[in-house]
Amino acid sequence: MPKPEQRLQQGRANAVETFKYDNRIVRAFAIATVIWGIVGMTAGLLCAVQLFFPGANLDLQFVTFGRLRPVHTNAVIFAFVGNGMFMGIYYSLQRLCKARLFSDKLSWLHFWGWNAIIVSAAITLPLGFTTSKEYAELEWPIKIAIAVIWVAFTINLLGTIVKRREKHIYVAIWFYIATALTVAILHIVNGLEVPVTMWKGYSIYAGVQDALVQWWYGHNAVAFFLTTPYLGLMYYYLPKAANRPIFSYRLSIIHFWALIFIYIWAGPHHLLYTALPDWAQSLGMVFSIMLIAPSWGGMLNGLLTLRGAWDKVREDPVLKFMVAAVTAYGMATLEGPALAIKTVNSLSHYTDWTIAHVHTGALGWNGLLTFSVLYWLFPRLYNTKLWSVKLANYHFWIALLGMVFYVIPMYIAGITEGMMWKQFTKEGFLQYPNFLETVRQIIPFYQLRAVGGTLYIFGVWLMAYNLWRTARAGVFVPEEQVQAVSYRSQDAHAEPAFTHRWLESKPMLLTGGALIAVLIGGMIEIIPMIVVKENVPTISSVKPYTPLELLGRDIYIREGCLACHSQMIRPFRSETERYGEYSKAGEFVYDHPFLWGSKRIGPDLHRVGGKYPDAWHYNHLDDPRSTSPGSIMPRYLWLLTQQLDTSSLPARISALRRVGVPYAPGYESKALADLNQQAARVVANLKTGQVNARPDREVIAVIAYLQRLGTDIKLAPKATAEAATGLRAAN
Amino acid sequence: MNHLIDNLGGIEAFGIFSICLFVLVFTVSMALAFCLKKPFLKTMSRLPLEDEPSQAENSNTHPL
Repeated sequence: MPKPEQRLQQGRANAVETFKYDNRIVRAFAIATVIWGIVGMTAGLLCAVQLFFPGANLDLQFVTFGRLRPVHTNAVIFAFVGNGMFMGIYYSLQRLCKARLFSDKLSWLHFWGWNAIIVSAAITLPLGFTTSKEYAELEWPIKIAIAVIWVAFTINLLGTIVKRREKHIYVAIWFYIATALTVAILHIVNGLEVPVTMWKGYSIYAGVQDALVQWWYGHNAVAFFLTTPYLGLMYYYLPKAANRPIFSYRLSIIHFWALIFIYIWAGPHHLLYTALPDWAQSLGMVFSIMLIAPSWGGMLNGLLTLRGAWDKVREDPVLKFMVAAVTAYGMATLEGPALAIKTVNSLSHYTDWTIAHVHTGALGWNGLLTFSVLYWLFPRLYNTKLWSVKLANYHFWIALLGMVFYVIPMYIAGITEGMMWKQFTKEGFLQYPNFLETVRQIIPFYQLRAVGGTLYIFGVWLMAYNLWRTARAGVFVPEEQVQAVSYRSQDAHAEPAFTHRWLESKPMLLTGGALIAVLIGGMIEIIPMIVVKENVPTISSVKPYTPLELLGRDIYIREGCLACHSQMIRPFRSETERYGEYSKAGEFVYDHPFLWGSKRIGPDLHRVGGKYPDAWHYNHLDDPRSTSPGSIMPRYLWLLTQQLDTSSLPARISALRRVGVPYAPGYESKALADLNQQAARVVANLKTGQVNARPDREVIAVIAYLQRLGTDIKLAPKATAEAATGLRAAN
Repeated sequence: MNHLIDNLGGIEAFGIFSICLFVLVFTVSMALAFCLKKPFLKTMSRLPLEDEPSQAENSNTHPL
């Protein structure tokens, strides 16, 4: 009679299953990655050029900086990194689970749906259809489509895990699960809008609440779209390329749980010194600093995997890219917490230092890791060898040089402008009271940045050519036939409960654990947000926007003005001297969405209302250099000629009332008359400045909005204004 | 505004609670990681390499 072990072996032999891995979907995402990488980076280069040569938009509204910037950020994040992520996940997931993807139909729905969304973004953003919320600019119909496609991806991911033939779930897959769950939560919570028209909606949140939700989303989009999935890719592709197991599986467990738990808390570091409560700012700062530990744990786990294999790094471009990517990850995750320290942030925020930081991550971590996976995958997909190792090595050095030319000038520019904004003379006046002086100083660095970007894109073209030649030299393997023992016939020995080994064999429990880990931080941030909503004291003199101002504000959003102009004066003397009274939470209660911005390429506009005559604004929008010599702002000629669309005004009033703006019932029917009256007043004001304009042009609405900005508080009694905020002016 | 928030009941506890929660999560994940046996760790860490042919066949570089 056979022994139990022999019976088990016999059973296994009988239960060996033959199946095929799907390489077609991997190739589709790989090709999309390369194409969108070139598109997204080229859009970025066009943006960069406009910052020292404003006429580079050829006076076309569709490619002006404010509209093009979200095209760049969305294309790079969601098109390039997104497709790269799905490429890497779908290849590794099948092999780690020893199973074909759950559903071919879902795979292709995912691919075509995701890329259709990207195409729709590339069309709608230049047309000015935008929510203005950074990295969440796409309007509500596209947002719904994203949610649907993301659900398809999540079902495909979890379904594949459930039907796996490998008993335990490898660390890379934990990161994929955390990505799928968290991105869904972030996207839905931040994307809640009341639709107005087909391509316009208003955020259900206002002012401070909107800012909190947006940066909870924005920070965690970086964490769970740009970081966790790529860490999963690192845990799979780095051992593969080095042909060595990961340095420490134990460390990967701590890395995973600590990282996903901490990351979700750190969002408030984007709102330091704003109207956010102090304790929340401090919590965001402390958790950001704590992030160094798991981030560096992961980085070291990656780099130490190469112990004993460093000689390979000299020759293999795949490993070169990987080592540089993981090192960039380490640098960015050390710098990020440093920037979250309030004193550092007081200098760095709104400057190009932030741009340098995000590009260390984007060009270094995401870019280089994507290239390494592409170089590793293509020869395998086409059953051949890489066409030219030499060319791949050239790509590596060109990309690195491009990064250096990009990042270093941005560091210098950021620190320079930050210091200039804060510089006082011995007499106590601002050393550089004219904002343009600080802009002119950093133009050479903007030019160098464009050189860096050009080099980086040139490298991507080299890669595209190399991969194309590789594909031509080989024969595509659409499916790989493999064999594995079925899950059921594997050792049925129960794992000891409540150990990590046990958890790794229970996908739904693991998913639930990851969900709880990310929800805790989100909840603790959202609960105060709800409390704030109940308790933000309304400043009595702050009123809803008039119909003309409202349409002007929506044009301001359409043009992406907040890409260059903040509307949040921090309580520093250097800012109150330059711009006026610091911003109060109660001033934004009717702002759906908030428009605080995150970068000052131009000056803050929160107190611009009443600072200049109407005619100055008209001339400034017509030709910024006529009023501000040396300005790098583009001309907004179309605002002077395009007719103001008032057809959706009643719907806008109605939608805003639904989210809590107190327009009187039935005001929709009176709004147009009010709009016309105010437009006539603006036209009359313009005449006094020798400007003849028609009242039904878009520029009239924009001027009305700009003149309203930050003026309500001036009408409030001082005591009321101070009671409305706990912020203290800090020097 | 933050002054008003500070006066809400128990709001300061959020910060302390958050840090304690993290210490708990970190400690539990450390304990779980260190309770794992070496053979299991070895098997799991080699998982990505299982579907890979031998090193000689694995070269992804074209000889120059």
